[in-house]
Amino acid sequence: MTDKSAEQSRDFYRQDVKVGVYVCHCGGNISDIIDVEDVARDLSDYPGVSVSRNYIFMCSSTGQGLVEEDIRTKGINRVVIAACSPALHELTFRGTLERAGLNPYLYEHVNIREQGSWVHKSNKKAATEKSKKLIRAAVEKICRQNPLEAIRVNAARSIAVIGGGVAGMSAALSLGRQGFNVYLIEKENRLGGKLNSLWKAYPSEEDGEKTLEELEKDISSLNNINIYLESEVKKIDGYVGNFSVEIVKKGSPEKIKVGALVITTGYVHYIPFEGEYAYKTTKKVVTLPDFIEMLKDDEKNGSLKNVKSVAFIHCVGSRQNPSLDKPQKDEKVNDYCSRTCCTSALFRIKQLLEKYPDKKIFDFYRDIRTYGLQHESYYEELSKKGVLFFRYPEDTRPQVEVKGDKLEVKSKDILTWNEEVSVEVDMVVLLTGVMPADISVIVDDLKLPIGSDRFILEAHPKLRPVEVPNLGIYIGGTAQAPMDLLEAAYGGKAAASKASMLLSKGEISLDPFVASVNPELCDGCEKCIGECLYPGAIVMENGKAKVIPALCKGCGACAAVCHTRAINVAGYSLEQIDAMVEAISKE
Amino acid sequence: MQAEKMETDVFILGTGIAGMQAALDVADAGKNVVMVDKSPSIGGKMISLSKVFPTLDCASCITTPRMASVSHHKKITTFTYSEVRFIRKEAGRFRINFVKKPRYVIEEKCISCGKCEDICPVLIKDEFEQNLGAKKAISIPFTNAIPQYPVLDMEHCIACGACARVCPAECIDFSQKEREYELTASAVILSTGFEITPMNAKEEYGGGKFKNVISPLQMERLLAPHGPFSGVVRPSDGKIPDSIAFVQCAGSRDKSIGVPYCSRICCMYSIKQAQLLSGALPLADMTIYYMDIRAFGKGYEQFYQNAKAMGINFVKAKVGKIEELESGNLRLHIERQEGESLPEEVEHDMVVLSQGIRPTPEENFRNINGISRNEYGFIHLPSVPTFPNATGIDGIFAAGAAVGPKDIVDAVQDAGSAAIDALNYIKRTSR
Ligand SMILES: Cc1cc2nc3c(=O)[nH]c(=O)nc-3n(C[C@H](O)[C@H](O)[C@H](O)COP(=O)(O)OP(=O)(O)OC[C@H]3O[C@@H](n4cnc5c(N)ncnc54)[C@H](O)[C@@H]3O)c2cc1C
Ligand SMILES: Cc1cc2nc3c(=O)[nH]c(=O)nc-3n(C[C@H](O)[C@H](O)[C@H](O)COP(=O)(O)OP(=O)(O)OC[C@H]3O[C@@H](n4cnc5c(N)ncnc54)[C@H](O)[C@@H]3O)c2cc1C
Ligand code: SF4
Ligand code: SF4
Ligand code: SF4
Ligand code: SF4
Repeated sequence: MTDKSAEQSRDFYRQDVKVGVYVCHCGGNISDIIDVEDVARDLSDYPGVSVSRNYIFMCSSTGQGLVEEDIRTKGINRVVIAACSPALHELTFRGTLERAGLNPYLYEHVNIREQGSWVHKSNKKAATEKSKKLIRAAVEKICRQNPLEAIRVNAARSIAVIGGGVAGMSAALSLGRQGFNVYLIEKENRLGGKLNSLWKAYPSEEDGEKTLEELEKDISSLNNINIYLESEVKKIDGYVGNFSVEIVKKGSPEKIKVGALVITTGYVHYIPFEGEYAYKTTKKVVTLPDFIEMLKDDEKNGSLKNVKSVAFIHCVGSRQNPSLDKPQKDEKVNDYCSRTCCTSALFRIKQLLEKYPDKKIFDFYRDIRTYGLQHESYYEELSKKGVLFFRYPEDTRPQVEVKGDKLEVKSKDILTWNEEVSVEVDMVVLLTGVMPADISVIVDDLKLPIGSDRFILEAHPKLRPVEVPNLGIYIGGTAQAPMDLLEAAYGGKAAASKASMLLSKGEISLDPFVASVNPELCDGCEKCIGECLYPGAIVMENGKAKVIPALCKGCGACAAVCHTRAINVAGYSLEQIDAMVEAISKE
Repeated sequence: MQAEKMETDVFILGTGIAGMQAALDVADAGKNVVMVDKSPSIGGKMISLSKVFPTLDCASCITTPRMASVSHHKKITTFTYSEVRFIRKEAGRFRINFVKKPRYVIEEKCISCGKCEDICPVLIKDEFEQNLGAKKAISIPFTNAIPQYPVLDMEHCIACGACARVCPAECIDFSQKEREYELTASAVILSTGFEITPMNAKEEYGGGKFKNVISPLQMERLLAPHGPFSGVVRPSDGKIPDSIAFVQCAGSRDKSIGVPYCSRICCMYSIKQAQLLSGALPLADMTIYYMDIRAFGKGYEQFYQNAKAMGINFVKAKVGKIEELESGNLRLHIERQEGESLPEEVEHDMVVLSQGIRPTPEENFRNINGISRNEYGFIHLPSVPTFPNATGIDGIFAAGAAVGPKDIVDAVQDAGSAAIDALNYIKRTSR
């Protein structure tokens, strides 16, 4: 054997397998409950294991250094890390193996934190024993693992940005400047989204129209941004690097090929039900966006001149409680805060009072959430200008009743000993919140995860806000969560940054954990095709099933139904699963 | 001494979560990054937190991998324990002069065995533990610090030579000098983060004076799984507290202390700490004295409602004054803004002042020619929202809490945004 093939054979299954087991303390998250030293000691005698250690933070530089050192000096060629969730660290440790020159897939992660110390706090001994079993199973599994190669796909240097509000425009502009071919798809007849209707916007108090014109000018100066107005997405298929998007533009269909998708479809306003705070039973109860229109109109026509008093009610359609508020069609109430309505309303009141200092303003709130740098000054200013603030308790709602040509607003007020207050006003403005735009076509075609608040669910709410688990799809702006213009611009651009990273190399690597069919065993029953959730992932070729790797998600549904055991998922072969089950069930 | 010359595409000042995110985005797009931090480890504030709202992920668990990715990235070079002398724009590029301060340890040789730390006889305050614990005069900054080289504190070292004798790699160098670097970069990102309002900002609260009135960062350390005392105890006597109070807006929303704005994160971190405390001390009472609860981010309102359901007391009240009692307990003079609005006195074992966020000191910006700050002292962004990371100088971008109070997710979003701006600037100017 030449040196090279000897070197290679080191990797292959059952040829001198040397497993390194590393048990992490996770600070104390694990070791406070599980006896990590005992676990490591126990595993050191297990067949196949050459090294078994425990360390305070395996993910730290030093922890990873231990693994690298063992690979280099002790000939470790399979690695088992028993620590927190693989969702956090799988990529970290694959990198560790790679740096030490080992195939990154010769590593198995055991979660003894979420599945060990955190769920079995009250039984330390059992938690320790359970960890041992899980790790033994992982050793059995990794002993039967061959090196795997990432699947490489070519990526088109083009991106579709769906939704042309401030988030989408910012994303398109950033990507256009990077030289990508950008398709900016907007269903209305002009870009800008809500910029078209905000008029003056806090905190700069500049006209949204001006912001929009600036963005439009920058976008039109780049000829690699293709703008599709009055266009809707009908269908999306394909996979990362090779999405195909069917658009209907002004009635005529068109198909584009893109490497990545940025979804910036924004929000819609909450529409109160008929009778909710007397909405729709009188024209004098309006929503916040209506009121912005009226203010704008007033500038020209003085249309608010005769309105002497206005009551504002916060949190309409937000921070709801199922026992007090009427649910949406999906039977859920909106339990989240819409983030921008407090500041927006206080800013509008300020505008109104600047023109008409004598108007009486009553503000019914739960908490005033003027969180941004300049936002608090609106609150302070209004308190000085005589706006009366009432704080209604969370378990009640203010009542609005039509009284002749006036409206009566009744509420409990926490600030005055929970007294019942009542005011008569000419107009009521409801601070209606926001809900995500309906993008069910996109969500269904791409199988996007949606949170319980109906906004698109990001891959990690702290560290990966613009990613979803599906590679090649990024989200930005209010399609992810309520936010203001500035924050939406950041979100759109952060999504652009990720898309640009992905496509900058021209080629994308995907996880190799996909199914494959052994044609010798396949009898062509097609049961697997019926079971697979991902269109086109399994096809029939010459009477045998065949998996298209880039479309397969590796879920294993096909393997489970195959009666001849012809299908294996790489990294989760039937043989590996059998060995794991055996290791766990053994006393 | 001659300054060592270097070149890079993007220079990033500050290695908190914002700086790290920006660096990874830039480097993954194929460009080179040099980062500088004044602290001896990368990671910023986030690595010292206990868990993070609203997911309650353990902060170490999600920060350490980011730190490791940064330090292992082929295209990222980090300099810790270093200070920037100036950043100047010259002929379309940036000239950055910085010095690496002596750790008195030869990094190239150190194997991070920790023997020096074990043997050192001098105990000093541990800044990472917010001065709650002690560390040695030579010590590795903290368990998961990157890099893992110790720093010798010359001011407190008694020059006994014990560390030098025990070091197996012979890398203690008492005469080490600072090293100067001269870097040329095509674009710059500033992510220098924030400071918390000083504990004595409001004298009537006794912060910095009363032992059991602690800062929120101290509470983070007490709650951290590997914190200074492995558990939550009172600093004055080590007693396990039965009743803990949080005073909201203790260092914000008040013109008289120079912080007129809302600091945006303190409501949420207090709710988080109260939730963690009810887990750590099931018998203790937690009370949050507040004006408005600002739970406006994704999932935050739900997090707040959970805290209420868990039995944490939310009392809408102004706290006028805090007194220290002989027992070490604290007497709070409060004025309820709900129910009976009468002045009242309440007693707690321990008080957390929910301090706000304020900008890093002026010296941070003095040597960056042309950078301007806004009325609050944060980096001024003249082109929001169309070009929201751009500072007054073309080619210098800002991200994270350096531009205003921000939680982690908001810092991560605008760091990604700053990264693509820097890449686009390079593209535009290299044409
Ligand atoms: C009452 C109110 C007042 C506000 N005032 C202010 C303020 O003063 N200052 C401030 O900073 N912020 C303010 N905001 C917040 C601000 O409106 C948002 O932050 C911002 O508009 C969000 O931008 P976006 O791009 O995420 O979404 P949007 O502006 O909603 O843009 C989304 C775009 O996507 C399009 N779209 C949706 N679905 C599809 C589809 N399937 N195919 C194609 N296109 C689609 C939509 O037509 C729209 O153009 C306010 C919000 C509210 C509710
Ligand atoms: C008590 C507390 C609890 C918190 N809890 C949470 C939470 O649970 N969830 C959440 O989302 N957020 C939380 N936060 C907020 C979170 O800490 C910040 O959002 C985050 O740290 C901001 O990151 P950054 O990178 O912008 O700044 P920083 O973390 O401050 O990093 C800035 C970096 O720049 C360096 N630096 C500064 N000046 C210089 C200079 N002149 N030269 C070189 N380097 C310099 C610093 O050393 C530091 O490493 C909490 C904050 C506090 C105070
Ligand atoms: S921003 Fe204010 S009005 Fe809007 S939902 Fe939140 S608390 Fe209610
Ligand atoms: S593993 Fe899942 S996604 Fe892949 S082919 Fe089988 S059923 Fe389809
Ligand atoms: S004893 Fe020497 S090698 Fe070990 S940590 Fe200290 S300086 Fe580094
Ligand atoms: S976040 Fe909460 S505690 Fe902090 S300043 Fe704002 S309102 Fe006060």
